[in-house]
Amino acid sequence: MRMGMGSCRALLMGRAVAATASASIQKTQVFNFSRKISSNSFGLCFSKSVLITCRNNNGVRSCSTASIRSSLEPPDVPRLAETARISLTQNEVEEFAPKIRQVIDWFGQLQDVDLHSVEPAIRADTEGSNLRDDVPETFENREAMIAAVPSFEEQYIKVPKVLNKE
Amino acid sequence: MSSMMASTFLRSIQNHPLMLYPAALFIRKKVVLYCTMKSTESQTATQEKQNPRIKVPPRTQTITTTNNVSKDYEAVIGIETHVQLNTLTKAFCSCPYNYGSPPNTSVCPICMGLPGALPVLNSKVIEYAVKVGLALNCKLSLNSKFDRKQYFYPDLPKGYQISQFDVPIATGGYLDLDLPMEFGGGHWKFGITRVHMEEDAGKLLHSESGSYSQVDLNRAGVPLLEIVSEPDMRTGIEAAEYAAELQRLVRYLGVSNGNMQEGSLRCDVNVSIRPIGQSQFGTKVEIKNLNSFSSVSRAIDFEISRQVQLHSQEKGDQIIQETRLWEEGAQKTVTMRKKEGLADYRYFPEPDLPGVILTKEYVDAIRDSLPEAPEMKRRRYEKMGLSMQDVLFLANDINVAQFFDATIAKGADVKLATNWIMGDIAAYMKNEKLTINEIKLVPRELAELIASIKGGTISGKIGKEILFELLAKGGTVKGLIKEKDLVQIVDPVEIEKMVEKVLAENPQQLEQYRGGKTKLQGYFAGQVMKVSKGKANPGLLNKILLEKLNAKS
Repeated sequence: MRMGMGSCRALLMGRAVAATASASIQKTQVFNFSRKISSNSFGLCFSKSVLITCRNNNGVRSCSTASIRSSLEPPDVPRLAETARISLTQNEVEEFAPKIRQVIDWFGQLQDVDLHSVEPAIRADTEGSNLRDDVPETFENREAMIAAVPSFEEQYIKVPKVLNKE
Repeated sequence: MSSMMASTFLRSIQNHPLMLYPAALFIRKKVVLYCTMKSTESQTATQEKQNPRIKVPPRTQTITTTNNVSKDYEAVIGIETHVQLNTLTKAFCSCPYNYGSPPNTSVCPICMGLPGALPVLNSKVIEYAVKVGLALNCKLSLNSKFDRKQYFYPDLPKGYQISQFDVPIATGGYLDLDLPMEFGGGHWKFGITRVHMEEDAGKLLHSESGSYSQVDLNRAGVPLLEIVSEPDMRTGIEAAEYAAELQRLVRYLGVSNGNMQEGSLRCDVNVSIRPIGQSQFGTKVEIKNLNSFSSVSRAIDFEISRQVQLHSQEKGDQIIQETRLWEEGAQKTVTMRKKEGLADYRYFPEPDLPGVILTKEYVDAIRDSLPEAPEMKRRRYEKMGLSMQDVLFLANDINVAQFFDATIAKGADVKLATNWIMGDIAAYMKNEKLTINEIKLVPRELAELIASIKGGTISGKIGKEILFELLAKGGTVKGLIKEKDLVQIVDPVEIEKMVEKVLAENPQQLEQYRGGKTKLQGYFAGQVMKVSKGKANPGLLNKILLEKLNAKS
């Protein structure tokens, strides 16, 4: 999962295919996040006397799935491409569809694992408070970061014009 | 600066044609409001029972809706407000944030979304969110979390915004406010649906001609609170006043500068209309690009008129769920984008951040340290016997309120202090474009000045002169009185001497007076005052003058 998220972190307009794959994972609802979550699995305790409330928000979270499906819907590649802001030719759609399908099916195998007695691991456990004081620090290697930006002009990062946000 | 902005707003609203609203409309509203106050928990239910109350006069010449038509509809307005927190650093990295810095100078791998960089939450963000949640009378979630909201746009290089989705940090509160007298007055309570924490996006500049956009990531990752209201507002004015009260609140709490021009406080409003008596909401339209309270008010009233007109022409189906932009120049809203179904943000819990867990002790400590909220201040001023107009003026700006409070704490008379602040001091600030924190007068000296006049040491006229000296140059009342020898003359013998001198120098006028032209008393009084350099006690002066004038007649 970390891998999936990492690849989703496309800098600006890059990594569109990775974003597409990531999108399809979300869309097909492989992960089950909305079962009982106990705060024991969270860090960031201000004190030990925290009570634990279990929230079960089925039907609210977009990534929840109540029942396990053995077969997943085939990916809607044109829609995914639109979400990732890339244009695909019909040939590419036909070429990518089975590949993306393969990835989804691979995740689909995970659906078969019985997790009813397992608490979901949303994140890595961190012990104690993981907060930062509000103290400014300037990142020292900014120049290298800016140098890695594909198109940088007059202090700005230059990107293709995108007006429609959603 | 802030005080001037706030008062500028008050003035601009005052000058607004909306003040021509029929008074009857507001009287009815107050009754409705009263019900709402009694049961804040059931605001939505109360709303459904509300009487027809929308009567929006056309705002521009292009719209020609008549009041007869708009009377049949009521508007339902909800507001989403983004408040930028004035923390020193961003939400998830230690980059400093200063408005107006050169582009892309305050960035690091975290806010630039470079692979492998992990966010660490700024503790102040939670503290400020709890403060705002409590001040808005919300229920706090002791156990909340962050979620990822995916959207693909270059202002957020990660490809997602860290936000809160299904478990916001605060829910179910309300905001109290007093409507200014010129809008009919009355105490209002508007529901707050939720408050959640999230990060701001960078800024995009679209080139006029070129096919590219420019990105500045300084603002990416700056902490925001999104505050969502219940759909409790019915007019543009109500919505603008709600936003103004939120601004007041965050400034009082010290969590944001609330500056709309800089985008530190941004309002998106949702407007729909429905035939009066209908319980379900009409199709809602979102309006963006509102960067002043008056634009909030005018954009909403324009949008209501537009929707009412479409309805009245049997074109109600042309009202579609969309986002519209307010064009300040043209004073109208225009389509920005149509919503193609619900946006698919593919939310899921943020795996890079731990959950947000609050303890009761932590929340209680913040609750105990909350400053007095604007609402509490207004109620306290009201109990001091001040008029609502005075109350609203003093409580509008936290700095003015603190100045007033400090003056009162030095023992100054409440009404006199109010009059000085609202009168000469406010006028001076306005003329010199200064905030109350920038003037040289301090509360202690204002209290001293009021006491010196009340105690008879100086006359009111001299007091005014001293005030302007204090405003511009500072110093103390006692020092100025001594330095300029301004102590009021209350010695009858000394005044008598001056009166005799003036009478002796004006034999002609004296003769006329004694011949029946008694109006000349004013002339003599003026002459004596001049001789005393304004220092003679006026009461005593007139008493002695009259005695002398009438002595030989």
